[in-house]
Amino acid sequence: MNDIVIAILRSGTPLVYVTLAGVIAQRAGVWNLGLEGLMIIGACATILGIMLTQSFVAAILIASLLCIAASVLLWFVIEKLKANPIIAGLGLTGLGIGGTALAVESIFGSQATVTAPFGVPRLGPAFGDYGVLSIFVAAMPFVVFAMWLLLRRSRFGLQLAASGEHPFAARGVGIEPARMRLVALAIGGVLCAIGGAELAGGSLQFFAQGMTAGRGFMAFAAVIFGASHPIGATLAAFFFAIAGALGIRAQLMFGDKVPHDLLQALPYLATIFGVWLSGKLGAANTAGAFGELKDQ
Amino acid sequence: MSSQSPPALACRDVSVRYGDVAALSGVSVEFAPGLIHAVVGQNGAGKTTFARVAAGLVRPTAGTVEIAGQAIRTGHVRDSRAAGVELVHQSFALPPSFTIVEAMEFGAAGRGGFYSRKGLADKWRAHLAGLDIQVDPSRRIRDLPVETQQSIEIARALITDAKVLILDEPTAVLSPAGIETLFARVRRLKERGVTVILILHKIREVLGIADTITVLRGGRRIEGPVPAADLGAERLAALIIGDAARASEDRDALVGKGRPLAEPTAGQPGLAGRSPVLSMTAVTTAPDSEGAPLHDVGLIVRPGEVVGIAGVEGNGQKTLVRAIANLAALSGGTIALDGQDVTARSLAARRGAGLRIIPFERNVEGLSLTSSLWENWSARELLEGPLLKPVHPSRIRALCDRSLKDWGVHYHSPAQRAGSLSGGNAQKVILAREVDSDARLIIAAQPTRGLDIGATAFVWDSLRAARDRGAAILLISSDLDELFDISDRVVVMLSGRIAGEFAAPYDIQSVGAAMTGAGHAATGA
Amino acid sequence: MRDRVLAILRCLIFVAFSLVLCAVVFQFAGYNAAQMLVAVVDGAFLRPGAMEQSLRWALPLFITAVGVGISFRAGYFNIGAQGQFYVGAIAAAFAAELLRGTPALIAVPLIFLAGIAGGALWALWPGLLKLRSGTDEVITTLMGNFLAGLLLVYVSAGPLKDPAGSGQQASSRPVDAAYRISDSLGLSPTIIGIAVVVGIAMWLLVNRTSFGVLASLAGRNGTMVRWQGAKLWQLGLSSFVISGALAGLAGTIELLGPNGRITSGFLPAHGFTAILIALVANLSVVGTAAVSIFFGGLASAALYLPIMAGLPAAAIDIINAAIALFITARSNLLDKLLRLGGRAQ
Repeated sequence: MNDIVIAILRSGTPLVYVTLAGVIAQRAGVWNLGLEGLMIIGACATILGIMLTQSFVAAILIASLLCIAASVLLWFVIEKLKANPIIAGLGLTGLGIGGTALAVESIFGSQATVTAPFGVPRLGPAFGDYGVLSIFVAAMPFVVFAMWLLLRRSRFGLQLAASGEHPFAARGVGIEPARMRLVALAIGGVLCAIGGAELAGGSLQFFAQGMTAGRGFMAFAAVIFGASHPIGATLAAFFFAIAGALGIRAQLMFGDKVPHDLLQALPYLATIFGVWLSGKLGAANTAGAFGELKDQ
Repeated sequence: MSSQSPPALACRDVSVRYGDVAALSGVSVEFAPGLIHAVVGQNGAGKTTFARVAAGLVRPTAGTVEIAGQAIRTGHVRDSRAAGVELVHQSFALPPSFTIVEAMEFGAAGRGGFYSRKGLADKWRAHLAGLDIQVDPSRRIRDLPVETQQSIEIARALITDAKVLILDEPTAVLSPAGIETLFARVRRLKERGVTVILILHKIREVLGIADTITVLRGGRRIEGPVPAADLGAERLAALIIGDAARASEDRDALVGKGRPLAEPTAGQPGLAGRSPVLSMTAVTTAPDSEGAPLHDVGLIVRPGEVVGIAGVEGNGQKTLVRAIANLAALSGGTIALDGQDVTARSLAARRGAGLRIIPFERNVEGLSLTSSLWENWSARELLEGPLLKPVHPSRIRALCDRSLKDWGVHYHSPAQRAGSLSGGNAQKVILAREVDSDARLIIAAQPTRGLDIGATAFVWDSLRAARDRGAAILLISSDLDELFDISDRVVVMLSGRIAGEFAAPYDIQSVGAAMTGAGHAATGA
Repeated sequence: MRDRVLAILRCLIFVAFSLVLCAVVFQFAGYNAAQMLVAVVDGAFLRPGAMEQSLRWALPLFITAVGVGISFRAGYFNIGAQGQFYVGAIAAAFAAELLRGTPALIAVPLIFLAGIAGGALWALWPGLLKLRSGTDEVITTLMGNFLAGLLLVYVSAGPLKDPAGSGQQASSRPVDAAYRISDSLGLSPTIIGIAVVVGIAMWLLVNRTSFGVLASLAGRNGTMVRWQGAKLWQLGLSSFVISGALAGLAGTIELLGPNGRITSGFLPAHGFTAILIALVANLSVVGTAAVSIFFGGLASAALYLPIMAGLPAAAIDIINAAIALFITARSNLLDKLLRLGGRAQ
């Protein structure tokens, strides 16, 4: 039993961090489809950072800074150049995937995976079977709670939501929606860096090209399925992680006889169902048509 | 109100330019503390821009703003608010998904940390009660009626002990009773020492509430602030409209004087005998999210007749239009055009039978602002016939060019975007499309909203001309003066029902009573 | 007319800007940026046979991109071209398998029909959800891409699995050689003919029918067209379905043309590139044709770089991504600059 829980926590935690990044962006009115790119930048920068500095703290700092920089680039493009957030986000994702591949190839001269001497610090034997989990797994509940507090129980959260839902109202009381979006995307950048670091260094210790394999998009799906509520989206992310873990298990136990693809499809089907439902219920909409930023 | 104290709000040589357009030019004005001031003018006179400059939402290209004698940084909402200026927008600015307390909290001044739901409710309950607003603070903004939304907006503006409260067109969405409540509230605020600046455009309301009046025209201050007692309705109208070159009936309309019809068609022989163009019998619509449903509505419009629909906004007028246009589902009753039952027929078929619509929302339902003029102009004709019908854009452009010239639209080229036209010209494009010789029933929904006097007169003339050609006109307006001025009959709607019918000469008291449901027996005239 | 010139000019400026950004990235990554860009141009257009290779990529991209443009024009942000392309290819592959042995004259048209229907189907459900319940099509079509990707993995490793295939990457049995419409180089008169017919038909549809004018009006303001009496679902759903059908057609061409089979995860960037093409071309059919050749060139350069120039293929991904990042920008600053430029002329 423990190993299933560990497997789910391991696959779920990176997803949760990136999902939270999506939630905060969504509440500020940005449909962030750059999550995938930010996550892979985080993963790559962590591994390369560890190799370069031999320090985990320095590596996570480098990863965070790079992800913040990439987020600010996205913010600049959609806010200042008024580009479409969906297309620009997809562009950022492409930039992340291509850029990390290029970085690895330019440093090591090949596309092979890059292994670091160590990864994210583990909890240690004091936690028994769970000692193999990284500190980011242990921190995750607190981060989720903090995000809930920030987004749902603070004036900052209200101001952020107002900037997303009704920027004119926000401006009317002296809030700059553009600045709130910048803050939201920057916080999201740090969360993506942690998510990427956990993916590459949590249980593994290497970076491989394209290793996020769509997890950023799955996180975006979790944001939608979780109605951009920090707790709802976290639960959605775990639901997706469980579906994935069960899929792998079913494949291991029964081989190809079971259509495990169906389980893999579950997150996407659930998201379609979720967005259909929220359309029916008329939930707060933070983006205009085509995912454009609302602005007046 | 000692004359020694500095003005509550003073603007000095304030100019605002949007691109090539000057919204305000060198406006200097001082508002004494503790009074109710009205700022009046036509649409486009610069009233809203003035309000936004004072509130810090718009940074003027030149000029300074002083609050209680202190110059503030212009273009900074926080500075304006800190100095005690609050603005309530015409279209309210509260996030619809927020609860009332959240809407109070998100804009509160000072440092705000974390809260609990209960703590927040307790915090604001007293504030709301102090303003006499009785409403469950956990309700969401989007579920509130407009009157309550406005109260909440005012309550939000008064959080910070506002010294100057600016209300931008607060009466536009209110019923006559709601306006009275609002004005009572404004007077109480005055007693508390708040300086209130009301942006208004209806002279009757201005004279009813204001201590002083300031008139803006074309972005300039024309007069004021002068004591309201010094200005009569006629003089004020003249100031608002400006030069005497304007037709006097326009001024009469603004003051609210019905002008006698050149030919009193209501008394035209045989009009009552003509078979109706539109006849609705016992029409009831299924409830939907877009407005009050209709209950048992019966309505007849004959050729050569203008029937006005009066009523406080949101009492089913929009649903009435949607029902006639087959954009709302009927749960009972029949609709006939020219004696032909069209209840089960599509809007395209109804348009084929001569239905034309000048819709409520000019820029949403009437025109596609980002599309070219020729596309907008040709939409109705393109929809006649199969979808794969070949078209020749150059030929359409030529036809469009001719038609728009005939209608006196000011434009450069048919390929220009509809959004680049002024409100009046945009409405003319809609008229050019909808008022053709095949039109049998023209629905004109708020056709003059937001238009200046000249464009308003043009629209009225066009509708009168269409009526004289024998078309039936259904005019929906929230402006009683407009309705009284050009309708042959006025039908009042209340809660999706027909609440009364009146003929000229109209008695505003009884029409008003029917609009609010005060006098249920108010039928006939 | 001047508006159109300005629109083209602004696209060119953004593309150029993206290329400069890429050059900076390359330089930072330790490559010689100038050399890299020269290699890209060389691989795309200049080296012998490059033009044929670029066209091989450009034609299917053009077909999908025209479809994307039609749905965008009608106001539907169908970003599901990839999924529709996949499902089209899958349906065509199934048809090819079922029809194995029938004469090509009968089989090939049926395979095409199946592919077109498959793509259309994969656009139909997001279209229906959008038009019936207002479900956001950005999310449904995005999810549809992932679902189609999984379906492709399942089909090529399951029902259509090639028993002789190596374990590396699941792929289907090759289609009957008689049904192929080109060799593995992927350029043949048939494919060129299809692309030309599609291009002309879609140009006529968009520019010379009431459907085209009304759909574009509806795309900018659906409410207004509804008040005019149009059946929005008719305009919207047909636009959606046409775009899916064209992506399905492109999938079929890839199957019967250069690929000859479907492979799990094949051509993963097709849909995204098609969206970029449509956007760079400002949704015009003629523009799409021109821009397709540019992106076809990039795709062909992506194959050329690592083999011939020893440069990483990721460079092309970065160029595409940078264009995506900036192509929809509509900053006022640029407009002002363009207008000044226009005045100066």
